[in-house]
Amino acid sequence: MTAKGKKGFARAKELYQDRSQRAKELKAEGKKVMGYFCLYPVLELFTAFDIVPYRILGDMGEPITKADSCLPTIVCPFIRSALDLGLKGKYDFFDGVVMCHSCEVGEKAAHIWRIYMDPSYYHFLDTPHTVHEPAQQQFKGQLEDFQKTLEALTGKKLSAGKLKDAVDICNQQRVLVRELYDLRKSDPPLISGTEIIEVMVALMSIPVNEGNALLKQIIDEARGRTDGPQKKPHRLLLWGTVIDNTALVEMIENAGANVVMDDTCVGSRAYFPMVEPTENPLDGLSRRYLVDIKCPRTFREAVYGDPKKHYIKDLEHRFGYLKDYAREWNADGVILQSVRYCDIHGYDTPGLSDYLNHIGLPNIYIEHDYSEGALAPLRTRVQGFLELIG
Amino acid sequence: MHEVFRDHPIREGSLIYFAGIDLGSTMTKVVIVDRDGKTLSSLVGPTGAEHRRLANKVMADALMRADLSFDQVSYVVATGYGRINIPFADRQITELTCHAKGISSLFPGVRTAIDIGGQDAKGLKIRNGKLIDFVMNDRCAAGTGRFLDVLVGTLGLRIDELGEISLRATHKLPISSTCTVFAQMEIMAWLSQGTPLPDIVAGLHDAIANRVGKMVKKLKIEPEVVFTGGVAKNIGVVNALQEYLGLKVSVPAEPLLTGALGAALLGKELTLKAMAEGKPIHEKELRLAESTFFHTENH
Amino acid sequence: MSEEKKKKAMNRLKTMYPLRANIDQAYERSVEATKAGKPTAWSMVNWWEADPILKAMDIEIVYPENYGAVCAAIGSAQKYLDRSDAEGFPTHMCGYARNCIGYTAEMTELGHIPSDAPMGGMSNPILLLSSGALCDARIKWFQSLGRYLDAPVWTVELPHPGVEESQMPGVREKSIQFMVKELRELVAFLERLTGRKMDWAKLEEITDDLIEINRIWYEINEFRKVRPCPMHSRDFWSCMNASLYPAGDPKVSLKLYRDMYDEVKDRVANKIGAVENEKYRMVFGELPPWHALKIFDELAERGWNFVVESWAYHAPKPIDYAKISDPLERVATQTYQWLTGYFPDALKEKEYMGYFAYPYLEWARTYQCDGALFHPLLTCRTATNHLILAQDRLLNKLHVPSLIAEGDIVDLKLFDYADTMRKAVVLEEMMDHYKKVRQEEGFEW
Repeated sequence: MTAKGKKGFARAKELYQDRSQRAKELKAEGKKVMGYFCLYPVLELFTAFDIVPYRILGDMGEPITKADSCLPTIVCPFIRSALDLGLKGKYDFFDGVVMCHSCEVGEKAAHIWRIYMDPSYYHFLDTPHTVHEPAQQQFKGQLEDFQKTLEALTGKKLSAGKLKDAVDICNQQRVLVRELYDLRKSDPPLISGTEIIEVMVALMSIPVNEGNALLKQIIDEARGRTDGPQKKPHRLLLWGTVIDNTALVEMIENAGANVVMDDTCVGSRAYFPMVEPTENPLDGLSRRYLVDIKCPRTFREAVYGDPKKHYIKDLEHRFGYLKDYAREWNADGVILQSVRYCDIHGYDTPGLSDYLNHIGLPNIYIEHDYSEGALAPLRTRVQGFLELIG
Repeated sequence: MHEVFRDHPIREGSLIYFAGIDLGSTMTKVVIVDRDGKTLSSLVGPTGAEHRRLANKVMADALMRADLSFDQVSYVVATGYGRINIPFADRQITELTCHAKGISSLFPGVRTAIDIGGQDAKGLKIRNGKLIDFVMNDRCAAGTGRFLDVLVGTLGLRIDELGEISLRATHKLPISSTCTVFAQMEIMAWLSQGTPLPDIVAGLHDAIANRVGKMVKKLKIEPEVVFTGGVAKNIGVVNALQEYLGLKVSVPAEPLLTGALGAALLGKELTLKAMAEGKPIHEKELRLAESTFFHTENH
Repeated sequence: MSEEKKKKAMNRLKTMYPLRANIDQAYERSVEATKAGKPTAWSMVNWWEADPILKAMDIEIVYPENYGAVCAAIGSAQKYLDRSDAEGFPTHMCGYARNCIGYTAEMTELGHIPSDAPMGGMSNPILLLSSGALCDARIKWFQSLGRYLDAPVWTVELPHPGVEESQMPGVREKSIQFMVKELRELVAFLERLTGRKMDWAKLEEITDDLIEINRIWYEINEFRKVRPCPMHSRDFWSCMNASLYPAGDPKVSLKLYRDMYDEVKDRVANKIGAVENEKYRMVFGELPPWHALKIFDELAERGWNFVVESWAYHAPKPIDYAKISDPLERVATQTYQWLTGYFPDALKEKEYMGYFAYPYLEWARTYQCDGALFHPLLTCRTATNHLILAQDRLLNKLHVPSLIAEGDIVDLKLFDYADTMRKAVVLEEMMDHYKKVRQEEGFEW
């Protein structure tokens, strides 16, 4: 199934370095390739229609030149970069794009994308801000509409059975990613944080079933490897905005720590939540995507409609899973990282830091410009943090 | 071509020395201490573009002053933003940890340290000699030595005159922008109006003190506060900072050297600890000079 | 002599003054009421979605966004911004939010309203009401106050469909029903929180008054399409709070807006313009530099008449609410209409940023504008990120040139008055040029 030649880690690296390679091959074979932005365009729907989903990412190594003519420079540089790549024609192989109300700038960039690039198929998913029952119903309605437009595009009616099969395939991928992440629990971990990013980016560039095959190879290879990461004095958990490039993690791992766990959207945030099988698959899907993906773009409170508020309880509800991550992966510090101008992560940072301090987990906040060249000043901060935690 | 190799092992009771080298953005500093932590020699030289060559030279000069050869130095810790460019160092430790160490050795009661160097400004929170938290400035030059370096040119002054001049201010001008470029425009406007230089300079010092003071406030400042780095030599900024914080600020006699001093002391600790535990001290063979440069220039 | 001339250049509406006074008095009364212990909610501006509900339950509403503007205008924001930075919040965040965070941190530390807080400060709230409308700050900021305040946070939902998607069958109905369900939960929550019962009759009355206020306010602004335009943006800004927040007793506001309607209508009939010798009809983008409003007088002297301004502060396009019996549905429909009212027109023109950017395009045409002055607010991404697009569409679709003069919502130093005036002169040349281009290409103006 997967392309001939390289396998496992080597294949993941190859795809990381040349993301569109496989998608273009599949397109040449007659398949539709669709770009999607952020985590909310439901992968199961693409998969059920036999469409190749391709996550729209940026490029930290590429200077932003074209996007500035339609989006100001004081917004998220990741989104600017993604838009820039689109404007430069690097996503011209798409047969369509699916955007969503990820965050405010994501929404605006989506509309700008449509206006300037005029894709032949386009759909915008309005992701609600809250997670309550009415919001889940609203999101389910959004998914129904999304399905209708795909049916119109492909001329195929989607059966519940087909969608259930897609749920199975995607859930399989999530199980495999967890298995892969379990291999980071040993000391030293069997996979470095840098390699994880290569694998995640590769997964987001190929069909789900091919991703599953690749994951199996990688897990086997990692289990038997002797060339894995070295033991280092610290084991870190990395939280924050999208990381689709190895440079930042490489810098951290060169400063004397292994990144053993992450909570970012090219990582566990994208793959850990499972879809619960439901009679109408869209019920399970809307819940999984809206409620279980824990991105700060969504508002969630400890108890819906509780007239009393308890700060720590609220933090526990929003960030408690990070405590579990730190315990299970045995992390002794947390790096909170954000691209500059990310509001949704910015507002959460002091509270998350309060929570981590409350549970006694050392943490540091670093902000960067989503540019490979601009990471050097962060090295001292990260190394200083590692020295500080001893 | 002479190469100076370091020849160990260290014998119990022998005279041993430790060096710290702090390769900052504008200045390279070296401090050599003995087994008791006493400073034997220290030196400051410009960093320049060729880090490695100049680091060698400053190190060689410092050794000469202490009348030591490199092989008598048991351990070298490099710090500062150029720390990875020092091939003769045993270990790299950030300037954050090194400053905390060096400052604590001079001011045992220090709880907050503020360091303003050529290109960065940082605040350190220290408890019992140990770094427990820190903040650093963002990428821009505002609130660093660079801010003053650029603006002295506009004023036609030398950097070392600023402190004295500012003391003659009758009313400080509010420089509303800490952005170097905008501040420059503001200064030109003041100059064209014939505003006395001391008032402008005092305004600049306030701008720096506010910018850095604001940043360091994240650490919840507690006394004793120590101010280091090249800018701490400027009495005007010291006063402005004291005013902004409402606290007395101590400045060491050699505010540039605390990083290198801390590095040397950390080297000493690491070595003595390893010796006590009977562990090998060095992981790799190191040598000082890779060119004939320092011999020809120094003899 | 020159003083007199300046007064003449802009012709303010007489009916603006009592309306403005009513807004100011309402603010003062609100401060007194909250200080006297009346239950107070801090609320994001919510475009009439939650305000009528709170008002019907007699909960006093304080708008921290508005307070940010107040602190900025009287030069007191810096202290609070610094405090927010020191609390560890990123400095790139919304200036209004940082002002509020700094204020709240200080109030919590002191245990009371800071004695030097501008305009009496903001009292401790029983509720923090976030809004899903428009920007991320407005759903995130109140939750981040959890480290200082014990008040619960509630988020009012507002869907943000895409332009084309919004026209798919059932989307409008489903979205409004979603909002209604959420609002019903909000009412139940407020009843639990306050121990009071919702006064449904009062809610109906307030909602109806608001719908009527917005209808009249909309009609007043429609008159501005006439040449010469009878009402300047200055008058719009002076009075918008009575609709937008809505500040003051709705019955009083309603009467005052009716008076204004009569005055503007009368001006239209008598061809009285808001500026003498209207030469350039202008769109203004985003909020004005509040501390430098005299720039509009100077521009008025050059014949610049600002005839329309940012969509976000305008009333929704009127629709018939008569068939909607449930007051919560009327509330939800009005807000949804505000957000999506321009979408059908936008879709016809394949303009997919249906709010914010598209209305500029429609208005530049229907108000026959010569140019636009945009004032992006650097820490407000919402007020900024559609402007480059708007500039591009105005110029390339309608041959209407525009000028960007940067500023900020709280850092007032960013706005450069002299520079803006210099650029304005250049824009005049461009406007003269493009007027010819439009005429050559058969545009109506």
